[in-house]
Amino acid sequence: MTVPELIKTIRDARATLIGAIGETELPQVDAMLRNADMELHWALWNLGEPVGVRPEFDYHAETR
Amino acid sequence: MTAAGAAFWNEYAETMPRAQLDGLHLHKLRSLLQYAYDRTPFYRRKLDEAGVVPSEIRSLEDFKRRVPFTDKPDFVALQREAAPYGPTLALPMDLVAHHAETSGTTGTPLQIPYSMYDTVRYGESWVYGYWALGIRPSDSFYFAFGWGNFAGFWSAYWGARRLGARVISGGGLDTKGHIQAILEKKPTVLICTPTFALRMAAVAAEMGVDLSTSSIKYTYHAGEPGPTALPAVREAIERAYGATAGELLGIAEIDAMAPGCPLGDGVHVNEMTVFAWAIDPETGEEARDGDIGELVVTSFANTAQPLINYRTHDLVRPRATCPCGRTWMKLEGAVLGRADFMVTVRGTNVYQAAVENLLAQVPGMSSFYELILRRENENDTMTVRCEPVRALDRDQWDGLAQMASDHIHAALHVRLKVEVLPPDSLPRYEIKTKRIIDERPPEFRRVLDRAGARS
Repeated sequence: MTVPELIKTIRDARATLIGAIGETELPQVDAMLRNADMELHWALWNLGEPVGVRPEFDYHAETR
Repeated sequence: MTAAGAAFWNEYAETMPRAQLDGLHLHKLRSLLQYAYDRTPFYRRKLDEAGVVPSEIRSLEDFKRRVPFTDKPDFVALQREAAPYGPTLALPMDLVAHHAETSGTTGTPLQIPYSMYDTVRYGESWVYGYWALGIRPSDSFYFAFGWGNFAGFWSAYWGARRLGARVISGGGLDTKGHIQAILEKKPTVLICTPTFALRMAAVAAEMGVDLSTSSIKYTYHAGEPGPTALPAVREAIERAYGATAGELLGIAEIDAMAPGCPLGDGVHVNEMTVFAWAIDPETGEEARDGDIGELVVTSFANTAQPLINYRTHDLVRPRATCPCGRTWMKLEGAVLGRADFMVTVRGTNVYQAAVENLLAQVPGMSSFYELILRRENENDTMTVRCEPVRALDRDQWDGLAQMASDHIHAALHVRLKVEVLPPDSLPRYEIKTKRIIDERPPEFRRVLDRAGARS
């Protein structure tokens, strides 16, 4: 897979995850979704994508 | 080729062209400045006072020229006023997942908060170094480290987890216990300070154990000058363990910021998590490629307590290119010296300025002193020679020495031998008073300390 293809795949995965963050009443699963999104944000960061300082800025800034 | 067969942990990032790296740095610096300005009273005040509007930083030159320097004492002073982190914290406290501290060698430890994401970023820096040395997920790590609140090897542990290797903690074992654990559990990677690696080898020899035939294939070090900065240390460790030795330059509050180059002659700044440049410490002007300068860094790893244009006081020789293929800034020979003289004594960084300040606080002590550095039993040692005030009777000198030693120990957590000499016995200098008498063999001194003692 090329780097641009990787980046697109990761961005798509983030978009899917972000839609679910904060939408479940299960704290365990919510924590897992946030961790998964954090790792994907980190992957984009290390592929040289100009993402924000922290992943929370891309969804609910006020929530953990 | 599979990922496991790759020569780099992330070749795309580690060999990114300079223009692309610089473009990314500018984006990240602008984002971080805005983040810090919005979230910490410290940076809001600092940038307002300097007339800096984050969105108006349009180039790296702008950043270097206009954004004010920060330094550890700024943070320590603010934290002392409002413990634990003062107005330097950029995240709500419930996002602080790990607390660390510096060793407090300048008097008061710096309190370091990390978010969970910061620990991931921090650990990642180690993995670049592990991978470059040849360490893989199939390896197993032995931590000869007592944990505590020191950041150094916690982040090495976070890196080992990221790599996916097996972790064995030596915890609170004594030196013989560590040796026994290595023989029994058969780890392939040893993580500790270079001094402790040599200490373990010496104790093992006394026990009749030859660690060069043990399971250890790699040793990896941080915390004090090691195999990259001191070739004699590399040779001694590699001979003792029959292993390949690596080193990483880390700064607790910044990041495990510069993993070792596989060529063994320097470290590469992790330019995914740190923006670094070097200055002439006297003028503040940027040092040119290949010139020695003081390293100034901005961390993208620590989002809990941003560190922007932070003066490290480490003297380095930056290089823009390296035959290993990495485009990340190389620091040839790692840290070559300190802008403020520092020596590591039994794992604790001891600054000349700190000892001077502490001596000045001891009633009956004059301002005349010398620090004698020696190499004994694989350790750097420091002896303080000092003079009492003239009014102090001779029968009080021993008590004065004990008081000074206790005061230094209480502040720095390291016991230095203190010798009180008669008044007027230490040399007087008209200019450039010589305080450091370095009697260590040249091969155990940093490059800039080898030419002679620094005052």
